[in-house]
Amino acid sequence: MHYLSDELSQLQKTQSSISDFIQESSLAGLWYWDLRNPENRWATPKFWRTVGYDPKSIAHEATAWNAVNPEDLAALKEQVAACEASYTESFEQVVRCTHHKGSSAWLYCRGLLIRDEAGQPYRMLGVLTDFTQQRNEEVYAQEVANHYGTILSNQSVYIIKTDAQGNYTYVNDLFYERFGHDSRIIGTSSLQSIIQEDWPKCLAVVERCFVEPELSHQVILRKPYRDGTVKSNHWEFKGMLNGAGEVAEILCVGYDVTLLVDNLEKSRQLLDLTKQQNTRLQNFAYIISHNIRSHSANLTSLVKLMQLTTDKAQSAMFLQMLKTSTDKLAETIVNLNEIVTANSNANQPKELRSLRHEVDKTLQALNILIHESSISIGIDIPAEVTVSVVPAYLDSILLNLISNAIKYRSTTAKPTIHLSCYRDADFIVLVIKDNGLGIDLSRNRNKVFGMYKTFHNNADARGVGLFITKNQIEAMNGKIEVESEVGIGSTFKVYFNESI
Amino acid sequence: MKVFDLAYIIEDDPITSIITELIVKQNSAFGEVQTYMNGQEAFDKLSAAELSEAKIPDLILLDLNMPIMDGWEFLDAFSALRLPKPVCVYVLTSSIHPDDIERSKSYKEVKGYFTKPLDDEVVQQMVHLGQENKC
Repeated sequence: MHYLSDELSQLQKTQSSISDFIQESSLAGLWYWDLRNPENRWATPKFWRTVGYDPKSIAHEATAWNAVNPEDLAALKEQVAACEASYTESFEQVVRCTHHKGSSAWLYCRGLLIRDEAGQPYRMLGVLTDFTQQRNEEVYAQEVANHYGTILSNQSVYIIKTDAQGNYTYVNDLFYERFGHDSRIIGTSSLQSIIQEDWPKCLAVVERCFVEPELSHQVILRKPYRDGTVKSNHWEFKGMLNGAGEVAEILCVGYDVTLLVDNLEKSRQLLDLTKQQNTRLQNFAYIISHNIRSHSANLTSLVKLMQLTTDKAQSAMFLQMLKTSTDKLAETIVNLNEIVTANSNANQPKELRSLRHEVDKTLQALNILIHESSISIGIDIPAEVTVSVVPAYLDSILLNLISNAIKYRSTTAKPTIHLSCYRDADFIVLVIKDNGLGIDLSRNRNKVFGMYKTFHNNADARGVGLFITKNQIEAMNGKIEVESEVGIGSTFKVYFNESI
Repeated sequence: MKVFDLAYIIEDDPITSIITELIVKQNSAFGEVQTYMNGQEAFDKLSAAELSEAKIPDLILLDLNMPIMDGWEFLDAFSALRLPKPVCVYVLTSSIHPDDIERSKSYKEVKGYFTKPLDDEVVQQMVHLGQENKC
């Protein structure tokens, strides 16, 4: 035994102040109860101070004992009884007390039964320690945890964390509910859940998190949703530093902006459409100005010339010219009306048509023209190919392109037209290839489908056919392309959009 | 001495072409008038004249919208020609489109922009403008 230990034991026995000091500084109090006369209970002054009473001024001690929670007191008495019965000496019990000022004091009581010579317990010594502060901290921590738990499991914001390699280390309930295909989402790559097109965008933002971890970085990324649709989410990424000051995790907070993005896209499309329509309107106004004016100018001049002339022959010539001009004006008005019609019926319903059948029908209609021009026509379109079209537009498109191919046929070689089709992604492409006069595209590429553009000195060329054709194809969400070389021939490709 | 000894009319519409010829010929400032169906025909004639020292026109009345070679293409090709004397070009069109008017100003050869219908008064303006520009 250490001599100091002996000495301290001795001191405790001889000097009560030492024992008091130890008690006072380490314990919340002592209880010493008479088990034979249970109403006789004694507590140290430190106990009373712990529960907020001045030990010197306790008027009625039995009332003061009410500070001890009655349930805990009863439990303690049961423990004592159990100890008596089972010949064990010690027990432990949590004792809640109500502080004089109303707050709760959480005490821990270690009890020891003291037995007489006959082995009967007659005293209970209770050693009390105060763990109120610890308890309060635990409660507070729990509250905080609940608080943040509620935030994390909210219904509108995604919260996820990934490690520096981009693997999930945390996802909140909402995110898991919407995008967690696999229960073992933690540890899997976050990039894999983003549509591939957006990977570079995502990686660029992560990179910035490493460069500037003090700032949050924003990005919109698309992910496939559980039901297979793709959702756009707006994310805020932030690099989180470890003890060594390195970015160890990326915290990502996001919310769904699909509706917003969709609406934005819709507005953009609407704007595009408006822009297109505006351009057409402007073009149309220009055409009216140009074509109607050019005829009306002729009429004005001819009338003036007729008034001035006295020569009968000349007068007759002017009259003939006047007639031609009025005819042309009438024709122009018919053309313009056709263009307006093609432009205004953009939302006509589409129907499925057999491409081969429609081509045959058009060739039948052009039968006489084909016969007269002794043009040979090859068709390589399987009977089962169908296209989704506005029927009247398809008629007009086929008639225009095929009759053009006949009209501008080769004058030197044996004229031919070859019609075929193939599939290109969402489109069925109709190819109309001729060996006719061709168009010099290096000079005219921008004008081929323009209004009132003609390329050959052909008297009946109106310069509206290809313009209307292009309008009709675009109204069906398709497109038209042309390859052509003077003296070799032209190939028109009509793309029928089959995706809508 | 005529102001315009030789004038070209480049116009694809035959009726307009005849009317224009008749009206300008009524003005004594105009001498010979030649008509061309499109820019290409006129250009071919001019490029031949460049080499053969044939008669170069003093004035070209140019329509804009024509097949084969339109007014703009003609102007592009024409600017590249090295003719022995300056030729005055007037645009004569039905177009009142501001873009066309603006675009015509970008060609230094274009000295005037006139819209149809053509009448004596307009022809007189052309003559005045020609005298000022010493075409």
